[in-house]
Amino acid sequence: MDCREFCDKHVAFVDDTLAGIELVRMQRHIAECESCAKHDARVRRALLIFRNLPPIELSAGFSQRLEARLLRECHGEDFLATTQRNLRRGAIAATLASAAMLGYIATTLYHSDSPRDLVMPPVVASLPEPELTPITTSTPAIVASVSAGLTIWPAALFAEQVPTRFAHSKLELANYTR
Amino acid sequence: MADIVRKQMVAVEGATVRERLQAMDDSAVVTAFLGGEERAFSELVTRYQTRLLNFVYRTIGDREKAEDLVQEVFIRVYRHLHRFDRSKKFSTWVYTIASNLAKNELRNRSRNPLVLFQTVQKNFQDEDRPLQFEDPNSRPDDMYRKRHLREIVEESVAKLPEHHRNVFILRELEGKSYEEIAEITDCNLGTVKSRLNRARNSFAEIIAPYVD
Repeated sequence: MDCREFCDKHVAFVDDTLAGIELVRMQRHIAECESCAKHDARVRRALLIFRNLPPIELSAGFSQRLEARLLRECHGEDFLATTQRNLRRGAIAATLASAAMLGYIATTLYHSDSPRDLVMPPVVASLPEPELTPITTSTPAIVASVSAGLTIWPAALFAEQVPTRFAHSKLELANYTR
Repeated sequence: MADIVRKQMVAVEGATVRERLQAMDDSAVVTAFLGGEERAFSELVTRYQTRLLNFVYRTIGDREKAEDLVQEVFIRVYRHLHRFDRSKKFSTWVYTIASNLAKNELRNRSRNPLVLFQTVQKNFQDEDRPLQFEDPNSRPDDMYRKRHLREIVEESVAKLPEHHRNVFILRELEGKSYEEIAEITDCNLGTVKSRLNRARNSFAEIIAPYVD
């Protein structure tokens, strides 16, 4: 065993928790190594002093103070429990009262003689006949022959009125000289 | 007459309960308390108050504050005992609470220089207090030597880093097992052993000049 291993196992050695073989090896190392023997003795002596330190005693009023605090704790707990219980009861009562009130309001509204909504006869709407205005645009051949700027609105109008215009066999010529 | 007999009966019954509680282990006392036996809590206090005081005092080095913290430990135990996992050791739980409170106290001190100053001042004033722990029949020079040694030991412990000191006190003063210390300090077993080794070596080194 070397000194490093001795130091690593020293805690268990001091606490006497080493296995038999390890214990013998540690003891043999102490017998051989003066430095480790010194270290071991120093630690054991220090621990002995520390373990024999006189214990601190409680002061005279400790028990009374603790008792008073525990009593306060108990009362505090009781008070808290009572308050919570009262609050719970209050909440239940409030819920019941609200439910009763809502029921009352609902019943009152259902049985009241307030005027109901007037029922009007249904309104029948009919689509008026479309007024057939005379076509003001030229025939496609004419539209195609005019300049691009002028053809926009007549073309749009024409497209819109396609269903009626094509059903209408009578086409008129546009009068550009108006 | 009937009243006197009744009072005596109650006293005898009370004494029996107390004796029965004293004979119980911690777990049984806890069960008794949770079952409604209020006297069981006094039994727990009696068992742990001095041990906890010594543990906290050695950790923080302030006697008055240590008493306050021990009281706080018992208040917390009282408050949360119903939540305590009874498959575990009661003593480990109590020491965990005490250790955490002591740690918080040290942290607060390091953050608040005024508290640190007040503690140092209080310790300084304590120098004038009468000897309390030495045998009054000892010779004066012997008493002085003992007191001086005690102060040196306490100062040496105080010089250890906080996490080393905690492990050191739990092992050397309270005799806790490595496993219990690991649980109390929330460390693994290897860390506990390593810290204990370092704490022992440091303590031995610090105190060596005074005792060699």
